[in-house]
Amino acid sequence: MTITAPERSRRSLARGALLFRWIALGWMAILAASHAEPMRNSPLAWASIGAAGAWTAWLTIAGKSWSWRVLFFDLALCCWLVVCSGFVVPEHTIATRAFFATAYPASAALLWGVAHGAFAGLFAGLALSAALLGSRLANGVHLQDLSRTAWQSLGGSIVLYLVSGGATGIVSALLVRTSEEAQKATDALIVEREQAARLRERESLARQIHDSVLQALALVHKRGTELATQTPPPAAEVAKLAELAGEQEAALRSLILREPERAPAGQRSLREALEAISRSVDGVPVTVSAVGPIWLPRGKADELAAAVRESLANVAEHARASRAAVFAEEEGGDVMVSVRDDGVGFSYDEHALREQGKAGVLKSMKGRIEEMGGSMQIRPAPGGGTEVTFHLPSA
Amino acid sequence: MSGDPIRVMVVDDHPMWRDGVRADLESSGTVNVVAEASDGGEAIERARESMPEVVLMDLNLPTVSGVEATRRIIEESPHIKVLVLSASAEEADVLEAVKAGASGYLLKSTPSSEVTDAVRRVRDGEPAFTPSLAGLVLDEFRRVASKDPNEPGLTPRENEVLKLVAKGYTYREIAEQLFISVKTVQNHVQNILTKLQLRKRYELMRYAIQRGLDRAED
Repeated sequence: MTITAPERSRRSLARGALLFRWIALGWMAILAASHAEPMRNSPLAWASIGAAGAWTAWLTIAGKSWSWRVLFFDLALCCWLVVCSGFVVPEHTIATRAFFATAYPASAALLWGVAHGAFAGLFAGLALSAALLGSRLANGVHLQDLSRTAWQSLGGSIVLYLVSGGATGIVSALLVRTSEEAQKATDALIVEREQAARLRERESLARQIHDSVLQALALVHKRGTELATQTPPPAAEVAKLAELAGEQEAALRSLILREPERAPAGQRSLREALEAISRSVDGVPVTVSAVGPIWLPRGKADELAAAVRESLANVAEHARASRAAVFAEEEGGDVMVSVRDDGVGFSYDEHALREQGKAGVLKSMKGRIEEMGGSMQIRPAPGGGTEVTFHLPSA
Repeated sequence: MSGDPIRVMVVDDHPMWRDGVRADLESSGTVNVVAEASDGGEAIERARESMPEVVLMDLNLPTVSGVEATRRIIEESPHIKVLVLSASAEEADVLEAVKAGASGYLLKSTPSSEVTDAVRRVRDGEPAFTPSLAGLVLDEFRRVASKDPNEPGLTPRENEVLKLVAKGYTYREIAEQLFISVKTVQNHVQNILTKLQLRKRYELMRYAIQRGLDRAED
């Protein structure tokens, strides 16, 4: 699995938050150990700190993904740490005691902010703030009895929680956006380079073909003149000359037929793929007709073209057809390709194919298309022959 | 379909190619090549003098292009049919030629028996539509429809017929499949061509009007 640039920047932010978590854990343990007065419930305090330590260790080792389950468990644990400090310190003293859970719970707000942005961070901060009020109640303090300074310290803590969640969220979103933009710029550069490479390849191809065309023309000229003096001209030699000219014509035509179309990144023109295939089929003349270039993800275009190649090979081998026609169109998110021949028909008869040990060909063709969420139908073509139709969602 | 040989004019800037085509056509015994021309301007003049039934037109011509010559010849003598015989299948050229009024188009690599057959069919009023041309025309109509839904498009039946042509079916096979006569299939194809040509004329007119209005404002 490859990690995208936005994911990378999010993870480095998370590593920073994890470091903060370890430091806060250590500080919490030091505060608990150096607590001057006896604790109200010291087993509960140490059990909670132990749980936080185990959780931190798990996050460090295994916590690569932040599923909602992980996030909510983390938030619940941190809220509990806040509330439990109310149970731990002597009653009515929480407002004046430096209680040990202050810093560690902020990690939950950080994690939420990193994972899902500012609003998620603020939500976690609010939950922690509520837990903070709960800790006062757990300590036997009624909120209406709180002094002005007690409210001020409470407010300070709440602001800390909200700011750590919100700020991390903003930073995280910004980082993700920036690296997304960087990624896009890199992608565009790659596409441009690919295009330049294609153009160069095409130019060198053009040079080669021009070269061979010139050579062939010179040969046709020379041999043609010589043959014209012989009566009767040797048929085999004349035929060879014609064949040579024909080959050059085909090569030149494939080059000048159409400018290579500017493909969107990672896509391929189905029409080009089908035209390339039709030129490679021996034994039956093939026409290709497409409504527009039809852009598809490269893998899809290749698979479809491969299935068409197998159909055409089957036509050439079994159908005894005088011609075959490939037609492709895209309408409403559905790509349709049909391969039609005017041969003897039943060339795809499953029973007959199995007898020839060729059922596998049919199956692989069908399987490939169905794997991509498409379908394949075979029916006798009106007027003789067979029509194979492939349907495939284009998205 | 016998009777008098079909009167054909061959337009191409390569004399050797003209000789070859003439020999092929006349050896079939059903065609009489009554004129030849080596560029668009000459083609327009010769067509006026010799009144061929079918013009075999190359697109890549010096001075006046094949598309322009096609337009002018059909404007002057609407009964003359033009069949494009071109070396390259440049989409834009082919579509322009059809819009200019050509009744069909064949690649120069088409075997000569098929060329002769297409000449006869075009003379008889049956457009020579290759599957790939049908694909181009379908694409053209869809592009126009997506740009401006008010433009006259294809009827569902015309769309069906054009798709079957693109799939490589002959008119006879299409007729059997749709339970209509071959003549009706021909009419559909002719209507599709006419719509293309009408749209072209409409575009030109709109362009002229815009230019005229611009000038009036000056």
